[in-house]
Amino acid sequence: MRILSLAWEYPPHVVGGLGRHVHHLTEALAERGVENTVITFSDGTSRPVETVGGVRVLRVNPYSMRYPDFVSWVHGLNLLITERAKSAAPFDMIHVHDWLTATSGIALKHIYRRPLVATIHSTEMGRRVCLKNDTERHIHDIEWWLAYEAWKVICCSYYMEGEVSRNLLCPRGKITVIPNGFKAVLSSGPGASSEPFDRTKYAREGESIILYVGRLVYEKGPHLLVEAAHRLGRDDLKFIMVGDGPMRAFLRDLSVKLGVAGRVSMLGHVPDALLSSLYQSATVAVFPSLYEPFGIVALEAMGYGAPVLASDTGGLGELIRSGYNGMKFTCGSSESLAAALASMIGDRELLRRLSENGRSCLGNYSWSGAAERTLDLYSRVLAEYNAGSWKPNA
Amino acid sequence: MKPIINITWEYPPWAIGSMSQELKRALPPAANSFPISLVVRGDRDGLIEMDGMRVYTAAQSIRDSPHVLAHAHALNIDLLRGACNAYHDAGGAQLIHTHDWVSSLAGAYLSANTGVPLAVSIYTTETQRAGGLPSLFSMAIFDIERHCLSRARWVIAVNEVAALRLKKDYAVPPSKLIPCRGSLATAYKQMGASR
Repeated sequence: MRILSLAWEYPPHVVGGLGRHVHHLTEALAERGVENTVITFSDGTSRPVETVGGVRVLRVNPYSMRYPDFVSWVHGLNLLITERAKSAAPFDMIHVHDWLTATSGIALKHIYRRPLVATIHSTEMGRRVCLKNDTERHIHDIEWWLAYEAWKVICCSYYMEGEVSRNLLCPRGKITVIPNGFKAVLSSGPGASSEPFDRTKYAREGESIILYVGRLVYEKGPHLLVEAAHRLGRDDLKFIMVGDGPMRAFLRDLSVKLGVAGRVSMLGHVPDALLSSLYQSATVAVFPSLYEPFGIVALEAMGYGAPVLASDTGGLGELIRSGYNGMKFTCGSSESLAAALASMIGDRELLRRLSENGRSCLGNYSWSGAAERTLDLYSRVLAEYNAGSWKPNA
Repeated sequence: MKPIINITWEYPPWAIGSMSQELKRALPPAANSFPISLVVRGDRDGLIEMDGMRVYTAAQSIRDSPHVLAHAHALNIDLLRGACNAYHDAGGAQLIHTHDWVSSLAGAYLSANTGVPLAVSIYTTETQRAGGLPSLFSMAIFDIERHCLSRARWVIAVNEVAALRLKKDYAVPPSKLIPCRGSLATAYKQMGASR
């Protein structure tokens, strides 16, 4: 089976979870004999063509043209991807990830008359809560278009299945839920360091590390953690925030205003080796998202044995069985977050149990399992396509 | 005989500006000599016979765009869908002919993936319309024009001013440039199209 995958991010150019998802999935599919070609972005620092992990990667550099805004940049990227696809032909199917490569996927579907499968990782309506301007409506329209043109749509959680069905008017029968996998790559990933981890740089003896990992954007709810730090008012809790984003300055100001600046550290992006050490040292890993289609960071934390506390929303709500492999608090409530945190920190036995169960439930989230289910979906789509009359005629 | 696929964002009754009238004058006579499929934005996806041509209409898929650049990108995917129907219905094409930048991307996509040669007609350039490149927005349109012109095997300058701008601003080589002084049929003949 020959699959053409289109993604706006793929290692070494990784922006968020989508790039890691496509990377792990395509490599796991390659292990099962799927010939996968990925067409993706390059800023000119990566190779235009290479084969890594059994996956052929073709890269296009959109900076060969100029753009007035991000939406135009995305369209420019899709322009180049569409033209580049000739080097990937022949292929049996096209697999698109999110609106960012939707138009090239739709274009190639019609040019080659091959079925299109779309993974919708999140939606604009979910990310923005409501559509406030023409740019957001344009992105939403493209998402609708992708769901309409796709033969099948993959979502990573039942929460997303509902969202795609409701917001993009996609029939439920067209959607398949395939949860993301988890792969502990951090300690051997790029930036791995041989330097031993010094916990005292982050917290003194007897102090607890409360770890947040995620982009510093509103939808991830980092401000709730700063507010909870203030509500708890305990000097023995150190709040470490890993990740960067447009809320960083706001969060710094908020922590000063609330008098917790000495307890909240914002580390920005950190090397993978340090991140894995922080996970292993964390008393609790907190994910206070307001919107979370899946929540792969929670799996990452469980993989390193960190007890997880997450908001009861989206994919996080499905991953975590409160009291078994993590704890949940009311989404959007710093009071609820502070109360849950206080009860967890005081209960060593609970923390041990959450850590243990967290690790053991990871078996349900493997990339090999996700690849098996994706391969099964590909086979079903191809069988339907082969039985139909919509075929190339040139 | 495989058709010449013309792609445009306007042709009467789907009219936006004067290009629709120019095409109404130029295409039907050419269709007397060459098999022409015309792809145009319409109210729905469909196929009709009109002016001696097979006319494929492509409906607009999305409603909202923040500006004409994003709108044009989306429109070109719709036009491409119509062009793909024309291409597969006929079992191929001998030439893809687009009209101005606003429909040239669709032609460039199809040409890049099928190997069918692309001809681009230019009525006005961004440097003419904007009086240079005064904004990033104009630069983006200029870059798309230049990109499509680089993908074209032939560039038809519809008037003398356009021919001059194409040489001066876009460095289109004279070997590629076909001044359209006569009929479109003459230009097609010059490109080696089959009747």
